[in-house]
Amino acid sequence: MELTKNITLGVYLPGKSFIHRLDPRTKIIASGIIVILLLMIRSYQAYGAVFIFLAAAVIIAGIPPGYAFSGFKPMLPVLTFMWIFQLFLYSSPDAEVIFSWWIFTATDAGFHMGTLITLRVIFLFGITTLLTLTTSMVSLTDGLESLLSPLKAIGLPTQELVMTMVIALRFVLILAEELDKIVKAQMARGVAFDRGNFIQKTKKIFPVFLPLFISAFKRAEELIIAMEARSYTGGKHRTKMKTLHIGRVDLAAILIMLIFSALIIFLILTVNPTI
Amino acid sequence: MKTLIEITDLTYKYRSGGGNAVTALNGVTMQVYRGEILAITGQNGSGKSTLARHFNALLTPGSGEVIVDGLSVNDKKNTAAIRRIVGMVFQNPDNQLVSSVVEEDVAFGPENLGLPQAEIVKRVDWALKSLDLEAYRYRSPNSLSEGQKQLVAIAGVLAMKPKCIVLDEPTAHLDPKGKREVLENVQRLNRDEGITTVLLTHSMNEVVHCDRMIIMDQGLIKLTGAPRELFAQAEQIKALGLDLPAAAQLAYGLKLKGLTLPGNILTIEELVASLCQLP
Amino acid sequence: MPIAVKDLCFSYKQGTPFEKKVLHNISLDIEDGEFVGIIGPTQSGKTTLAQHFNALLLPQSGSVTVNGLITSDPQADLISLRLQVGYVFQNPDYQLFAQTVGEDIAFGPQNQQLRKSEVTERVTTAMKQVGLDFDTFCQRDIYALSGGQKRRTAIAGVLACKPKILILDDVTAGLDPRGREEILAVIRDLHQKQKITIIYISNSMDEAAELAERIIVINRGQKQLDEPVREVFKKPEQLRSIGLEIPEVINVIEKLQERGYVIPSIPLTLEEAIDLLTTAYAQREVKR
Repeated sequence: MELTKNITLGVYLPGKSFIHRLDPRTKIIASGIIVILLLMIRSYQAYGAVFIFLAAAVIIAGIPPGYAFSGFKPMLPVLTFMWIFQLFLYSSPDAEVIFSWWIFTATDAGFHMGTLITLRVIFLFGITTLLTLTTSMVSLTDGLESLLSPLKAIGLPTQELVMTMVIALRFVLILAEELDKIVKAQMARGVAFDRGNFIQKTKKIFPVFLPLFISAFKRAEELIIAMEARSYTGGKHRTKMKTLHIGRVDLAAILIMLIFSALIIFLILTVNPTI
Repeated sequence: MKTLIEITDLTYKYRSGGGNAVTALNGVTMQVYRGEILAITGQNGSGKSTLARHFNALLTPGSGEVIVDGLSVNDKKNTAAIRRIVGMVFQNPDNQLVSSVVEEDVAFGPENLGLPQAEIVKRVDWALKSLDLEAYRYRSPNSLSEGQKQLVAIAGVLAMKPKCIVLDEPTAHLDPKGKREVLENVQRLNRDEGITTVLLTHSMNEVVHCDRMIIMDQGLIKLTGAPRELFAQAEQIKALGLDLPAAAQLAYGLKLKGLTLPGNILTIEELVASLCQLP
Repeated sequence: MPIAVKDLCFSYKQGTPFEKKVLHNISLDIEDGEFVGIIGPTQSGKTTLAQHFNALLLPQSGSVTVNGLITSDPQADLISLRLQVGYVFQNPDYQLFAQTVGEDIAFGPQNQQLRKSEVTERVTTAMKQVGLDFDTFCQRDIYALSGGQKRRTAIAGVLACKPKILILDDVTAGLDPRGREEILAVIRDLHQKQKITIIYISNSMDEAAELAERIIVINRGQKQLDEPVREVFKKPEQLRSIGLEIPEVINVIEKLQERGYVIPSIPLTLEEAIDLLTTAYAQREVKR
């Protein structure tokens, strides 16, 4: 039983690659652009292009491909459910029926819709994972803070928002480790998490959350007091030890992103959408 | 002025889960002197953490007065200034480290003070050097031992250049090696940098190395004095649910069996020396 | 229910860039009725090792055999194994799941689908074993308990599953002296009166010296020492070199011996040290 093993979201894998060295703002904006492109894509061809791009990024960043993919394992049941859901629910007037059983009818339109939506979720997850694997939490915050700073003018507490996000992300791993301990404590008292049907399994999960939430609240409370004791009073009078610089690697990356975006937009405009 | 923190007739109540008011401090009067290491000890629930949280205005008095370096904690306007004077280190390093890079975490306090960039860098360099943490500067706290994590927490407070550091059971979850690392560094900072130190602890072997100690019970201060004086009163200490330091306990037991030993043995070395002088 | 560990190796996050080898070729045996201390610094691998004893972790290489059952055998009934080898975790907050003390202790027996009367009987017995008065504490809210009471509830929750072996993982951490004494008294009683095999995990030698019959020292995932308790303390330098501390009572004797005094044996508890020294002085055998 090792629950934290397959968590890749929010984990930072230190390295010295081209992608690691980029200014966090470059990486955040690039990820943002890819997310927007993903939301517009409706063909397998365009997904193929994004896949090649992301795969290249994973290789350049020196992330072992097997590890990059292992993050999807815990999501498999949800993804499968989503796919099946779309398969049976989505249809269009000219769709061809693949098979039907009782009240369920699967059409080719449903099949493509399910596949494309599932791909979209996988890619969205993938790009976020790539961002956090190659960017430390600290520089991620610095980048976000800098990017959001214009919003301060309209009264948005950007620094506070960013600090909240950092802490939330940091807690993903701590809570996962804690969940591991709680699950083990329950297994040690005779709970068989791997036995029973879906409802029985779900029922067993509930007692896990009570101690998890209590512990999360306790930690949060202690962290707040510790931050307050170190004179944290929000972003107002804070200064920073480090400032960000856009360098040559960033210019190169921006160029690559422009070319890539043009390619995807070209594909979106020229290839007939599958749906 | 000899006194850094002056507390007069402090009471504090908090609401329990059931909504009842629980008295955590019931009329506490005490001082923290400049440059000393003061130990505050007592059973869990005796009120020592509640007391310590008044030292840097994390709590404000229910009634009574807390004056830190001439500033009253009761006045909200003083809060920021008081937190620069008194820094605080907590029990669990995992719950007080903010950043996933050691140097960034140490910089967190100075950044909050709004210091210029160059000054922050200087202070971070100095704090890391003082605690011998330079080798871990760019590492993640998660890759350090528990004792080293706690040293990072201390460095984070040190970088704010406080006059006083309050440590709330900093060694409770450490192994013997981690305990030793933390204690030796705390003593060294007190000696070399003249930082007034308040140490909350259950371990009487740690208290032995302090200048003065306070024993709390049920929200009251029961005994105050030098460890050597207080540990001579073995029965009273035991009645308050505390242990004696191991050497003192052994000496006490031997005296009960009729061996003639001096009344104020504190360390193993002293005990061995006294035993060797027996006829 | 003897435990036999052979050439056990284990790595966390195996197959990821974060892979960390925590156990290297550990072999050991634990017999019925023993009180074994597993001692080592934090992150030495002692918890990982102990979690193999009740199949919370399964060996990646090597084997763990509990009462003839090989834990890595896919056919093995691990659920009943885990009930027979009880595990009390370091932090009670992770293992108390219910609202009240009584409900929490009943959690294990209820998982076994026992009759209601049997569950009640188990809860009553377990509470008695850890010295929690049934009428006072059964309905008590978990979060109104002191640290020591929480730990005793956690132990009772495991005892209610009627284990033959009890693994206690750093159960005194963070307790004040009185709370610690209470827990140690409970543990001593379980071993002596209930004849439960105890595996006591700690980073401190003090408690292990007082309680255990045999001590296994783990450092950096390797077994360093595995000897009867008195033998272990004959090697103070080895213990210190891996960052462990010698109980103070033994330090006194060691220092006296350095000064040329002859003291016949090593004391493990304060009482033993007092007796040893008074007798020695009374008979004036101490001087060379």
